Amino acid sequence: MKRLFSTSIVALLVLAGSASSAWAHKVIASGYAAGDKIEGEVGFSNGDPAINTTISITAPDGRTLGEVQTNAEGLFTFTPTEAVPHIFRGDLGAGHVAEFRMEVSELPRALQGGTAGAAPTPTASTASGPAVTASPDAAALQAMIAQAVRDEMRPLKHEIAAYKEHNSLQTILGGIGYILGLVGISFYWLAHQRLKKQPPQ
Amino acid sequence: MHIVDGALSSAVVIGGAVLTVGGLALGVRSLTLEKLPAAGILSATFFVASLIHVPIGPSSVHLIMNGLAGLVLGWSAFPALFVGLLLQAVFFGFGGLTVLGVNTLNIALPAVLIGLVCQQGIRHANPRIAALWGALAGSGAIALTTLCVAVALLLSGQEFIPAAKLVFLSHIPIMVIEGLVCAAAVYLIRRVNPTVFASLEGHPA
Repeated sequence: MKRLFSTSIVALLVLAGSASSAWAHKVIASGYAAGDKIEGEVGFSNGDPAINTTISITAPDGRTLGEVQTNAEGLFTFTPTEAVPHIFRGDLGAGHVAEFRMEVSELPRALQGGTAGAAPTPTASTASGPAVTASPDAAALQAMIAQAVRDEMRPLKHEIAAYKEHNSLQTILGGIGYILGLVGISFYWLAHQRLKKQPPQ
Repeated sequence: MHIVDGALSSAVVIGGAVLTVGGLALGVRSLTLEKLPAAGILSATFFVASLIHVPIGPSSVHLIMNGLAGLVLGWSAFPALFVGLLLQAVFFGFGGLTVLGVNTLNIALPAVLIGLVCQQGIRHANPRIAALWGALAGSGAIALTTLCVAVALLLSGQEFIPAAKLVFLSHIPIMVIEGLVCAAAVYLIRRVNPTVFASLEGHPA
């Protein structure tokens, strides 16, 4: 028994060491406003995109707002028309469901201003004399900058998502520690029970 | 293998939780002082094994090791695997807390059943034949688990045959690997310390 115990512990440590590069088999989904659209991404946490998956978009009250398909890179775009929280849900099969929610504040800015009606107008137009927001050239420039920033940010977003999925050795050892602790508590409890049954000598 | 939050209907989630509580009660009752170290080790093995992903084609699957747990622990596989699943859900977000009951049932029930079926086989006088039973236990437990997952999905309204096929086919490599691992484990235990299986048979505490 003792030998079995020690070989198992060695095997466990080897396993724990080799596991640090493993991927979690989880579904990740996220979305962000891009211009007047919402761009989103659905995939597995090992980096595989969810291809040709139908994403249904609903309002919090259960109304269907629309349906989109992801492309070969697991990306989708959706043009929101209502200023309500959007719930995106995709079924990837075999028990994998991706779901995320975008609040009104995360929706494209045009939409927020449009439906809120009495929302305070941007202060940019009053701040400086030569208004930059008015001319169509400036608007195009703004869109270009936004697009460029989004493109630059994309790999970073991927990296952060991958980092979040990373299982560090500390976490794994922590889990094993919890199990050892539970075993210890159970030992204590069972031994206590056994002692209670036997009369003290 | 881990079903995530939100994939199942609430009836299935509640049913799975109730059955798991029953299994846990039976398992804790059969968990003796003698079995406890083995339960801890197998719980830790399960916890770590699920992190090792084997990339196959476009997808990847991970080891489960529930067959071995069932062989060694019997009903006590329920608490051992439950603890492993709970920690995985909390630490890594595998599965989820609401589906913990269903996931425990899907993994621990095949373990217990396989343990009951192969109990005699792994005590065979010839260690090689015992190892064959071990292989059967290792891959059989995975096959049963994929079936359970498919049933859970079916009861939640998914088409059974495609879902079952998908889960089953993607786990064939795992069945092979776990069969080998389990056979090796049984062979090793029989060679090194043949009393392990015998000593773990229910001594009342």
